[in-house]
Amino acid sequence: MAASYPYGQGYPGSAGQAPGAPQGGYYSGGQYGGGLPSGSSYGSPAPGGPYGPPSGGGAYGQPTPGGPPSGTPGGPYGGGSAPGGPYSQPATNPYGAPQPGPYGSGASGGNIPPGVNPEAFSWFQTVDADHSGYISIKELKQALVNSNWSAFNEETCMVMMNMFDKTKSGRMDVFGFSALWGFIQQWKNLFQQYDTDHSGCINYNELHQALSQMGYNLSPQFAQLLLSRYSQRASNPGIQLDRFIHICTQLQSMTEAFREKDSGMTGSIRLNYEDFLTMSAARML
Amino acid sequence: MAAAYQYRPGQPSGGLQDPNFLWSVFQRVDKDRSGIISDSELQQALSNGTWNPFNPATVRSILSMFDRENKGGVNFNEFTGVWKYISDWQNVFRTYDRDNSGMIDKNELKQALTGYRLSDQFYDILIQKFDRQRRGQVAFDDFIQCCVVLQKWTDVFRRCDTDQDGWIQVSYEQYLSMVFSVV
Repeated sequence: MAASYPYGQGYPGSAGQAPGAPQGGYYSGGQYGGGLPSGSSYGSPAPGGPYGPPSGGGAYGQPTPGGPPSGTPGGPYGGGSAPGGPYSQPATNPYGAPQPGPYGSGASGGNIPPGVNPEAFSWFQTVDADHSGYISIKELKQALVNSNWSAFNEETCMVMMNMFDKTKSGRMDVFGFSALWGFIQQWKNLFQQYDTDHSGCINYNELHQALSQMGYNLSPQFAQLLLSRYSQRASNPGIQLDRFIHICTQLQSMTEAFREKDSGMTGSIRLNYEDFLTMSAARML
Repeated sequence: MAAAYQYRPGQPSGGLQDPNFLWSVFQRVDKDRSGIISDSELQQALSNGTWNPFNPATVRSILSMFDRENKGGVNFNEFTGVWKYISDWQNVFRTYDRDNSGMIDKNELKQALTGYRLSDQFYDILIQKFDRQRRGQVAFDDFIQCCVVLQKWTDVFRRCDTDQDGWIQVSYEQYLSMVFSVV
């Protein structure tokens, strides 16, 4: 992991790991390149990458459920939340017996490749209807649902495909899917934790709380801005899991962009026009 | 940094002025007959010239431009605006797609965005970020998205750059607010 950890509030060791997730095997730091042009082969930031640990909980980045809105982050801004990077191991025991997918698709037995979550494996078989060994964005979209049973929006699927499709071919193999599976489970846990009224969606207050517990030092107005950008209907300004993942990963990525420029850790940076465009575009998911 | 990109009025495409024609289009697109065209209905109705679905981010950005009450879609009145907007972009796209390949490559993109005075390197980033088909060039929907994002980021930058010297000093939250007011 990054030796030069500039943002005192965390500790580099297990940055980017989800609460309780084992150390990532494929994704040990350094590679969170945020889609920098020639950067990492995964082209996207690891959520909670090297700078990741939120200040909320202990050193391992476990947000404090229901706790006080997380102590002051060491740096002028916090951020970086839990779920592991694209290639961290899923939290589930990888060698356990295959479990049925969420829709009761029986475990298909077969040979589960090493390191692949059995549940993810079984689900992959179901989703990959043509048995091509790959799933497309369309198939991915069909596979993922929110708590209100709506399908994941395509934009979030696109972002996740970009994060986990290591071949950059626009499709995902079983290893990528397994990593994605773990990633989603971790976000889902956080989502449920922050959905304090158990409505199945995150409203404005919950989003502000969530950001603060993840260690972001951001105003209520900013949470409002995020919601207005990503929630579709004024009549129901809340977000489902898909948008929550979209917002949080994008926020992590842009926070990284800022941190890179803020070498003095003053919380304020000076940029010219093309700097601004370049850092923002390169980090866009 | 001049506002380089104003899409041109261009030639109205066939039937543009004919409300009956537009109404029949609207009815075909509004599959669930709700009177509102939703994001998925609009996405299915639009083509980027390939077999891949229209960029959902482009759809969201177009809808957010015309959906005045934030109702999650556009009514017939607003749809006429959407229709014109997309036709205008089509004309722009055709203008810069010099080789009529149906895709805008890096050189064509440079031509289209001349007014921005951006470095060569930045065009590579743009292509890489907006090229969803991974062909090293951008299709129609990705081209719109690329231009819209660039235009909006330029606007927020300019608004922040009060002394117009090309430099800004921003805090963390200011920076995020600028970026997220666009993407």
